[in-house]
Amino acid sequence: MERIRSYLPLWFMLPASVAVALFFLIPVFMTFVFSFTTMSSDTGILGSRYVVSDDTIRTLKGSGMDAALLEKLGSRIFTFDEAGLAALRKSNLKPAVVKEIAEKLSGKVYTSEKKLFNALKRLNNRPRSFKDRKSVSRSIVQTLKNREFKTAEEFRAGLASIGVEVAEDVFENLLDAANMSWKWTTSNYSELMASDFTGKILANTAFYVFFTLFFNVGFALLLALATFYMPSGQSKFFRAVWLIPRVSPSVIYIMLWRWLSFDNGFMSYVLGFFGVEPENWLNEYPWTFVIFANGFVGASMGMIIFASAVVAIPSDVLHAAEVDGAYKWQQIRRIILPLMAWPILFITTYQTLSLMTSFEYILLLTDGGPGFFTTEVWALNAYHTALSNYFGNLRYGFGATLAVMLVGVGIAMSLLYLRLFDFKKLVAEPQIEN
Amino acid sequence: MSFKRLTMAAVAAGLFALPTAQAAEIEIEVWAPADKNERYRFEAITLAGNVLNEELKIEGSDTRVVVKKGTSFSGSQGWAQLKQGFSLAVEAGKGPHIIVGGHEDIPVWGSAGLIHPIEDYTDLEAWPFSDLFPSLWPIMSWNGQVWGAPQDAESRPFFAWNPHLKAIGYSDADIAALPDKVKSGQYTLQNVLEDAKKIQDKGLVEKGYGFYPRATKGGDYWQFYAVQKGGDMYDPKSGKLILDKGALLGYYQFFNDAVYKYGVTKKNHIGMEWDQWYNEVANGKAGLWHGGTWHYARYTRREGLTDFFDKVMFSLIPSGGSGGKATTLTHPLTYLISKRAKGEEIELAARLITIASEPRLNTLHAIASAHLGITKAQTKVSQYADDRWTAEATALLQSAFALPNSTDFGQYDTLVWKGLTAAWSGGVSPQDAVNTVVKEMQATMADKVIIR
Repeated sequence: MERIRSYLPLWFMLPASVAVALFFLIPVFMTFVFSFTTMSSDTGILGSRYVVSDDTIRTLKGSGMDAALLEKLGSRIFTFDEAGLAALRKSNLKPAVVKEIAEKLSGKVYTSEKKLFNALKRLNNRPRSFKDRKSVSRSIVQTLKNREFKTAEEFRAGLASIGVEVAEDVFENLLDAANMSWKWTTSNYSELMASDFTGKILANTAFYVFFTLFFNVGFALLLALATFYMPSGQSKFFRAVWLIPRVSPSVIYIMLWRWLSFDNGFMSYVLGFFGVEPENWLNEYPWTFVIFANGFVGASMGMIIFASAVVAIPSDVLHAAEVDGAYKWQQIRRIILPLMAWPILFITTYQTLSLMTSFEYILLLTDGGPGFFTTEVWALNAYHTALSNYFGNLRYGFGATLAVMLVGVGIAMSLLYLRLFDFKKLVAEPQIEN
Repeated sequence: MSFKRLTMAAVAAGLFALPTAQAAEIEIEVWAPADKNERYRFEAITLAGNVLNEELKIEGSDTRVVVKKGTSFSGSQGWAQLKQGFSLAVEAGKGPHIIVGGHEDIPVWGSAGLIHPIEDYTDLEAWPFSDLFPSLWPIMSWNGQVWGAPQDAESRPFFAWNPHLKAIGYSDADIAALPDKVKSGQYTLQNVLEDAKKIQDKGLVEKGYGFYPRATKGGDYWQFYAVQKGGDMYDPKSGKLILDKGALLGYYQFFNDAVYKYGVTKKNHIGMEWDQWYNEVANGKAGLWHGGTWHYARYTRREGLTDFFDKVMFSLIPSGGSGGKATTLTHPLTYLISKRAKGEEIELAARLITIASEPRLNTLHAIASAHLGITKAQTKVSQYADDRWTAEATALLQSAFALPNSTDFGQYDTLVWKGLTAAWSGGVSPQDAVNTVVKEMQATMADKVIIR
């Protein structure tokens, strides 16, 4: 049959394409871009800033820059020259103040703001408020120090204003040292390679995803099959019960786990009857709790899908099997599971990807501890790096590097699953139609 | 009503409305980490707003400030939220005009251009800043500028439960002399472990309650590094952080010994609930512990410890042994003016902060929250002077140190903390923990930290 050429399907795809671009492609691309920057709380995200501070001068000194130039860069001089007086006239100061300054202080130079203020205090028409004194100081100061420049050109003009002219390569060095905003770098990737903890966190992630997934999918299947063979009333009740972890707010759900596992919690209380010393079980067996807490939540989701998939299997096939004398286990093994390959693929893929990126239960339960990243998974590490530091310096660039790796692994895993479950065969056109 | 009367009424109403319409109200939003005891972090600014409006009226200005309480955070999770929220909000042109931050936020926010240096907007040589405890200025400074005004001061004392000390043989005179013995280095962390063991062996407290440290992560733990020989954190000359391997080992070893050798601290202590912790230490369930000056408010009010001075000894954190020195951490919070404030808002914010730093206003916070004052004059304000706790605890400030103001501190602190938890409950020996931390720092922070 000849296909009808039409662009209509493309138009139908448009909203979805826009959504994919907006919420997936662009963020992933931006994350990739950010991963090549030094962006952090102390560099800020927007705009560029050039400031010559004590730190800048120290850095330049370390790189062997000319001492006389550095002296000039760090200097702060207050001069009542023509330009300074002109600036004063433009300020909000009272004309009488400006007039007396012009008469008495013209041509004077002060090496510190304190000395300038002392001189101002001796005038009859003196700028009385701190704000006015600062206004004088700002009008006549000749310095680069701690002044903020938004562009390289402004910075060059700033240099010129204190009479510094330098060769282009020196200027580039100055600019680089004064740059307070983020820079392009590949150091995030090399830091990742250099850190001993990278391997550990990677192994943690694999461990966590594998065991949680195993528990998750296995338990969901078990629940779905068990409830399938139950009378309808009972099966509904059990499925509802297993939905509770899914619908309870994560903070409360984890609080229950913590309460269960603390040394004065439920487990210690019950085990106390058997002579077991109270322990903080969570701290003793962090992984067990992490996997169980996550597994139970995930299982409920799988259960819903599997339960409806089992019900959708034509009952005559099962009846026929019963007539042929197949046991329950044989029915499951030979009929139900093969017919459920598609939902199992879906749940396994979906859960792998969501487990790889999910961290909120671990964050609330162990926060990646105890000790050196014991239960820290990749996504949690990215969160800790980019969005949560006790002392406030968040490393967005390095966090983005971690996220990029995660996206890469996620895509690789998806492809692997498609292969493993023979996706092409699953979506093949029904043979019967041909 | 006739048209004429209506017009006249409208004109009259307009005339009445005129003066209020002329007064420009400028809103100043304040963010602070504040629970109920610490409400004056906000309230001092609100009160300052009333004073400032009177001043503006007298000056003939039509401007009036309206102080708006922004988001308040409390608890240790709250701190992270506050800092993260502030960074992201100001980048987006939102957030508060004034924020109460930790002094360690100064380098990060100063470097990112999120705050204005306060020295440009208020006269630090005039009252009340002229009277500030001089040791507070370096803590408010970074990169050669003064960025914030201290909102409070505090120290983090070492505590002991007197009845337990008596039960293991201390006389009243011994207990009274203990703070001085700590200060002079005669009583060390080694003695802490031994006394904790004695208290525990006598059955006065349960196992793991002999030495009962802070419940969660916090700057306090750096004290146990700082009391060690060579326990410096910052080299002012190069502007780099310092990691002293010997001091780090002493620090980790102390907690490792407390847990495994002496059994006086619980292996799973970190991360416990604060409510439980406060209740236990304020009721004699622990032998020796460490906390903060503000704990006094909690112990004596919510936990009902009415005879604090009879029951509790407080001192500096004892020295880690020979070559070390007793000290305590002070972690002043600071009023910072954010870049959200523009033009006149900056001046007004600076004036509000200046007024809120007046001895009497700052004392409200000091007494309500059991923090320490910031100016010398405060020790003469009767409310402050009459309060035994603030009066006596202020003396600890002389031997206090502060965390370094460095943009790299967060990363450095995270690693050192992980090392501690590894040596404490992660089954890693203190030496291995030190090695791991050092190796990781060499790999990832070599140009930022001097390892010695």
